[in-house]
Amino acid sequence: MRATPHLALVPEPGAVGAKVWYRQVVAKEAVTLSRAALDHLDVLYRVARNLTGRDSDAEDLVQETYTRAIAAAGQFTTGTNLRAWLLRILRNAHIDDYRRTRRNPVDGGFDDDLAACPRATAPEPLRGDAELERLRGVVTADIEAALASLSVDARALILLDLEGLTETELAESFECAVGTVKSRLSRARALLRERLRDYGS
Amino acid sequence: MDCADARTYLLDRRRGTLTGELRVSLDAHLADCQACRQEDAADRELSAVLQDRLPRRRAPEALRRSIEKSLMSEPPRASVGSRLAWRVPLLAAAGFAVAVTAAFLFSRHSASQRMLAEAVNDHLRVLYSDHPMEVESGGIHQVKPWFTGRLDFAPVVAFAGDDEFPLQGGAVAYFVDRKAATFIFKRRLHVISLFVFRAEGLPWPALATQPLGAARGTLETSRGFHVLLWKKDDLGYALVSDVDATDLQMLAVRIEGGG
Repeated sequence: MRATPHLALVPEPGAVGAKVWYRQVVAKEAVTLSRAALDHLDVLYRVARNLTGRDSDAEDLVQETYTRAIAAAGQFTTGTNLRAWLLRILRNAHIDDYRRTRRNPVDGGFDDDLAACPRATAPEPLRGDAELERLRGVVTADIEAALASLSVDARALILLDLEGLTETELAESFECAVGTVKSRLSRARALLRERLRDYGS
Repeated sequence: MDCADARTYLLDRRRGTLTGELRVSLDAHLADCQACRQEDAADRELSAVLQDRLPRRRAPEALRRSIEKSLMSEPPRASVGSRLAWRVPLLAAAGFAVAVTAAFLFSRHSASQRMLAEAVNDHLRVLYSDHPMEVESGGIHQVKPWFTGRLDFAPVVAFAGDDEFPLQGGAVAYFVDRKAATFIFKRRLHVISLFVFRAEGLPWPALATQPLGAARGTLETSRGFHVLLWKKDDLGYALVSDVDATDLQMLAVRIEGGG
């Protein structure tokens, strides 16, 4: 990242100073946002990789995320969570891509997946120490396969929660109420444990 | 509190964000419900598994370099094109396919969308440039002569800037396939770009309904920016900003000598 020492100048009053200040503000906002956005690249890639399951798709998704972020930079509110904003763009880009490339756009619907969640309606068949032992035995490939078997929304919800987004930020990303996020996350994690039992066995 | 409610709040309880009456109710429920205690233990184990065994891959260096370049240079001209374009240095053979894809996508845009996209992209270049102005304003009579010899036309702008819309400066840019005079105004903290260019041969929108002094223009919105496009004699004008549309129209009227 190149240095921009002139950006540290303090705004000056007066006509000439105002011109210099204007130029600095425009440049400084762009450079500051760009630098800050780049700091989140690994997080975005990590989420994208776990969402898509493929290196090349993850790279495309991250590239698309930054492209959209550049175009929408004026909509970012300084002082709010840039990582959450970028992750929201990434999620939207992923949904758009998913709908564009899948024949059935409803296939990844959140409610479809969670409606089938056995924990939502039936007692758990594997309880207590047995489930804990099974969970302790899963390996990376099991987790990735179990995640990939979830709906797009359930997977995204678990991954964004793992990255530390607050329930309010998740609610904004998923365009639903905080209470809904809470219950959906709980059900998504329960479903992931069910799938892990299948993949880990 | 029943089991379904209890399980909704288990994660909050473990993270210490559940307080007050809900926390008391959940604790009471867990004390009496072995199934929910097991659920809590299993979900806690899931957190450990995800934390320890879900790969935390770092972004590839090629991707990092590509994104760093795009962030620190001018904004991309088209979302889909740029998304594909970053792989070109790695996959030279893909160049032809990218060109074909871009041409196909571009051809699908309606005429007015092409003009609109170009105007917004040019405004983004102004916003993201380290040096958006090649000449800083000492007034319109300093900015306009600066274009002499730099353009193959004389930009006609009747407005010299005022307290509401101070003229900041100017630069030469490209609009589609031709040179354009760029005038940069401000409205409070917002930047407004005015591009003036030769009008002939461009795919102008069919309907111009907005009265702008002696001219009529088209007001469109794209990616959060308002764009006013209009023609006067043989010159074309594109005014772009994220200010209110009424502010943009007010400035356009002044530029057209009507305010």
